[in-house]
Amino acid sequence: MARTNRTLLNLCVAGSALLAAAGGGAFWYAVQQTADRPAAAATRVTVSAGACTPNTLTLPGGTRRFEIVNASDRPIEWEILDGVMVVAERENIAPGFHQQMEVPLQPGDYDITCGLLSNPRGHLHVTVSEEASAAAANVTLKDFLGPLSEYRVYLVLESRKAVQAAEALRAAIAANDLPAAQAAWRAARLPYRHVEPLAYRLSDLENAIDPSAAYLAGREADPGFTGYHRIEYGLFAEESTQGLAPAADQLVADLETLGARLKEMTLTPELLMSLPGAMAGQLAEAQIPAGEDAYAGDDLPEFAASLEGIRKIAGLLGPMLEGADPALGTEIGDALGRAEAGLAKLRGADGGYPPYGSVPQEARDALARDMAALQAGFDRIEPAIGMN
Amino acid sequence: MTGNFLKTTVLAAGLAGWGLSALAASPSLELVAPLADYKIYVAENTAQLVADTTGLVDAIKAGDVEGAKALFAATRTSYEKIEPIAELFADLDVSIDARADDYEKGEADPAFTGFHRIEYGLWVEGSTDGIQDYADGLLADVTDLDSRIAALTFPPDAVVGGAAALMEEVAATKISGEEDRYSRTDLWDFDANFAGAKEIYELLKPLLAEGDSAFTAKVDGNFGTVEEVLAKYRTEDGGFASYEELSGSDRALLSAKVNTLAEDLSTLEAKLGLG
Repeated sequence: MARTNRTLLNLCVAGSALLAAAGGGAFWYAVQQTADRPAAAATRVTVSAGACTPNTLTLPGGTRRFEIVNASDRPIEWEILDGVMVVAERENIAPGFHQQMEVPLQPGDYDITCGLLSNPRGHLHVTVSEEASAAAANVTLKDFLGPLSEYRVYLVLESRKAVQAAEALRAAIAANDLPAAQAAWRAARLPYRHVEPLAYRLSDLENAIDPSAAYLAGREADPGFTGYHRIEYGLFAEESTQGLAPAADQLVADLETLGARLKEMTLTPELLMSLPGAMAGQLAEAQIPAGEDAYAGDDLPEFAASLEGIRKIAGLLGPMLEGADPALGTEIGDALGRAEAGLAKLRGADGGYPPYGSVPQEARDALARDMAALQAGFDRIEPAIGMN
Repeated sequence: MTGNFLKTTVLAAGLAGWGLSALAASPSLELVAPLADYKIYVAENTAQLVADTTGLVDAIKAGDVEGAKALFAATRTSYEKIEPIAELFADLDVSIDARADDYEKGEADPAFTGFHRIEYGLWVEGSTDGIQDYADGLLADVTDLDSRIAALTFPPDAVVGGAAALMEEVAATKISGEEDRYSRTDLWDFDANFAGAKEIYELLKPLLAEGDSAFTAKVDGNFGTVEEVLAKYRTEDGGFASYEELSGSDRALLSAKVNTLAEDLSTLEAKLGLG
């Protein structure tokens, strides 16, 4: 990687950020600086034809500077590896030359490469230190960029799947194939469930895509009864594909609009932190007690899909929570595991979920309690991360 | 220590005021969309890589040396476009794309696998007999890469720094023609490397300050020159002529442009607050 004058640039950025903070800059500016503190003297690693010297390094966690000396007769690249992942690298160090690089390191055991691929790797042990703990606890906007981007990718890909699944449903309806349409309807709900934590906040689309007859004045006869549940009503209550084609066309079009709108939304750290708790709360308070699929009874697979969508976000927040409040991270991981296990317990002997109508009240109450516990954990994320 | 640090910082802030005023203090949420779009670009390329590698492997399995040779260069392009991310997986980068000179025993080293081992088999050994297992291994590796990338949250630094990293790699170890030394298909790789770097740059360009028009004009101009040079070597079927046909003056021009691009694109991280 090109890192000419990298240290100077780092210092300049640090300086600008301090000025921004002094000038009343946002919270995020103020909290990012300790990680940029210049490290002490560089740790020298000499790469000869066959090995690194020293071959094993032990350093305290934090930002560390390395000086790599190429004492072999070929150009080398020097890498720090965490398992198979490259943590940092310096490419193309010519024979006889040396280069420096600065790397923020969290405690753990790493490998270092030493010239030829056939050479044995060296080892880097990074020990626990106050500097590393402070850096990990110090969550900044920069830490959120990767997770927010990954969530945007997830929204784009899952909404594409939702459109494709709705197209398959529309095709089965057009072919007047009731069993195929029923199966396609069940499958079509799952990608929508994955994006629902954000999708349900777009109320205009939500009212077209996912309204429930119970909330409409004219119930099933209401002209506002559209979307997934209108089609569900036709396929599972009336047991016919007749007359459903316009609703299926509209659903495909609305889901395309949804995908475009989700893609255009500005995702912020606060929003990402709020989504999983709100979704878990909605499951606990509304969907699990009342049931969601009045005609198909396919609620359990949908709740499982909702938990997948929640787990995606939890996984994105996990690394930051690990630094800011590891105990809360563990607690949420456990609560998520319990909710998933509670749901999986309801699977039948064939591995499939039973119709929701056959799930007894106490089992529903248990699911709702798991979701409420999950919500309580998620609701503590923002104060935990924001405290720094 | 603290006193020293503060002095250094004040000095650096002073410098920033003069020479580096375009530096952003902190990254912006505006980076989220280009980072996400870049991951989708990479995912589309790894899907293409799996599809193209399947075709290449089929030809090798069928013992079709000429057919495999015809597919080799095009198959590699999807990998070369996304190298900044693919290289994050050290084990796969080695097994997919390492060169013989990374190994003590060179071409004879049993650990020498992947594209370049297959290239060696097709062009130097002139046979598919010795590369059947390497073909299977390559397909397994690119399939693994595809799923690992799908699961990866892209590090913003690796994406934004990736444009310069690609150019620097071309400058340091590719422009000399050492990458595809058996097949001489290097120009395909150059084109893909430039396309991959330009993709990152184009996605980030709208985020650059309006006052940065001199920078964008220069980078646009250099990408344009590179494209013009490479266009001279395009063949009728959409591929590229042999590296051996690259004239000395064009190689010098490419080399100069790629070095400048590497240098200029290496400022993107600081400009976008990721320094």
